[in-house]
Amino acid sequence: MSAMLEVRDLVTAYGKIEALRGVSLEVQAGSITCLLGPNGAGKTTLMMTIAGILRPRAGSVRFAGREIARRPPHEIVGAGVALVPENRLVFPGMSVRENLYAGAYLRRDGEIEADLERLFERFPRLRERAGQDAGTLSGGEQQMLAVARSLMSRPKLLLMDEPSLGLAPLVVEEIFRIVADLHRDGTTIFLVEQNAHMALRVAHHFYLIEQGRITFSGDPGSLAEDEVIRRAYLGSARR
Amino acid sequence: MLADLLQNTLDGLAAGASYAPVALGFALIFGVLRRANLSYGPAIMLGCYAAALAHGRFPGLGLGALAAIALLAAVLAGAYVERLCFAPHRRGSAVAAMVASFALWMQLEEIATLMLPRHVVAFPALYEGEPLAIAGLVLRVEALAAIATAAAVCALLAAILYRSRFGLAVRALVAAPLAAELSGIRPARVFFLVFALASAIGGTAGFLVAATDAQITPMMGLWLTFKGLLATMLGGLGSLPGAVAGALVLGLVEAHAQWFLGPQLRDFVVYLLLFSLLAAAPRWMRTPSPS
Repeated sequence: MSAMLEVRDLVTAYGKIEALRGVSLEVQAGSITCLLGPNGAGKTTLMMTIAGILRPRAGSVRFAGREIARRPPHEIVGAGVALVPENRLVFPGMSVRENLYAGAYLRRDGEIEADLERLFERFPRLRERAGQDAGTLSGGEQQMLAVARSLMSRPKLLLMDEPSLGLAPLVVEEIFRIVADLHRDGTTIFLVEQNAHMALRVAHHFYLIEQGRITFSGDPGSLAEDEVIRRAYLGSARR
Repeated sequence: MLADLLQNTLDGLAAGASYAPVALGFALIFGVLRRANLSYGPAIMLGCYAAALAHGRFPGLGLGALAAIALLAAVLAGAYVERLCFAPHRRGSAVAAMVASFALWMQLEEIATLMLPRHVVAFPALYEGEPLAIAGLVLRVEALAAIATAAAVCALLAAILYRSRFGLAVRALVAAPLAAELSGIRPARVFFLVFALASAIGGTAGFLVAATDAQITPMMGLWLTFKGLLATMLGGLGSLPGAVAGALVLGLVEAHAQWFLGPQLRDFVVYLLLFSLLAAAPRWMRTPSPS
């Protein structure tokens, strides 16, 4: 395996406050990599920086050998990196089908309809609700739609920011089953999670982030799960 | 009495139809950018001045060519306003953008006055024949043109917003800006194109107004911004169907008020209506939505 995504010494700041203070990590091609950490540690900031929404102050982000840091979001999506944002953020007031077309916004090829059909097979509930306003879907359905919308851009690397946030346990199970399915079908996945227990079950590799720095990196099993969970929720400083 | 009532209603609807595209353009910018563009009317006025200038230099130009000039010049002026007032404040203050657009209003008026220094400038008339008489009611041909144009603009805008790739991008950007950007939609480009579209709609409407009056003055910019703003507010700020309804209500109220209360009280009645609406239903102008 080779590194599909290489983040080196990344610094991102909001004004004077550095949310990322030199983050380095790698995501291997074909893997599920997970980033764990407490609230405010910089997880979402890292995702938004990789996706090009936030501009880093220093450091580099290389995707498939190409530098993508400081590139605008549409170029990064075009290169094959898609982010499923935190809180799902579907387009309310637009139908499920229109949401999916918006995900394929940059594509000019003739296979959009075929991809739509494949996604409807993967997510039958979205087919049932294809004409329905996306804002009226349940939380779990909105999460599925947000994932499906990102897949419409045909990403090589799928970034997911807290996909289980605010969902009922059964729905969380379903979301992680989808993550495992997508991985089996060849998508590399980089996942931010608060739900360390679920994340460690699917991940091949994980990182712990605390106060803007990576403080641990390893395979599930290389650190006792209760220790990982404690640090993911509380941070080591407050142990 | 009944004939007067019907005639006023007809005249009011015709006036409302001429306001409707102006209001649509204003509400489109407000709904998508969430910013009020006070230079909306002046940019259209400048487009009409370009057509008047062309008409003076080349009297042989037909109405179609002059309309094209007005539309293109309005789009150019609108693009200028967007670059100077709205592109720099895309993530920043809405008030800064509005104040900047007020400053450009003054500048655009100055440009128009320098182009054609006389206060009133002749404009080619849309139609010079007699108005139509149907069952005792008078119907001006210009009114028919305004109604047909308003209907065509509504249909075209609906087709663009709900049937095209660009429309999908506009609606996505309004519904969830971050998710739209993560889908590869470029806000700066979409906003610019929305401005150009609103200016093209306004340029068409402005040309029709100028050709109906057969004259223009630099005050046309103020007049257009006010009618657009009033209709948009009556329609609930930022809603496109609301803006069209607001324009028709505005036209009807003005026509009846003018007939029954006189021209001095006409505008007073309109502002009273707006005031009562705000006092009675302050939530009328809620968070703008595009549809």
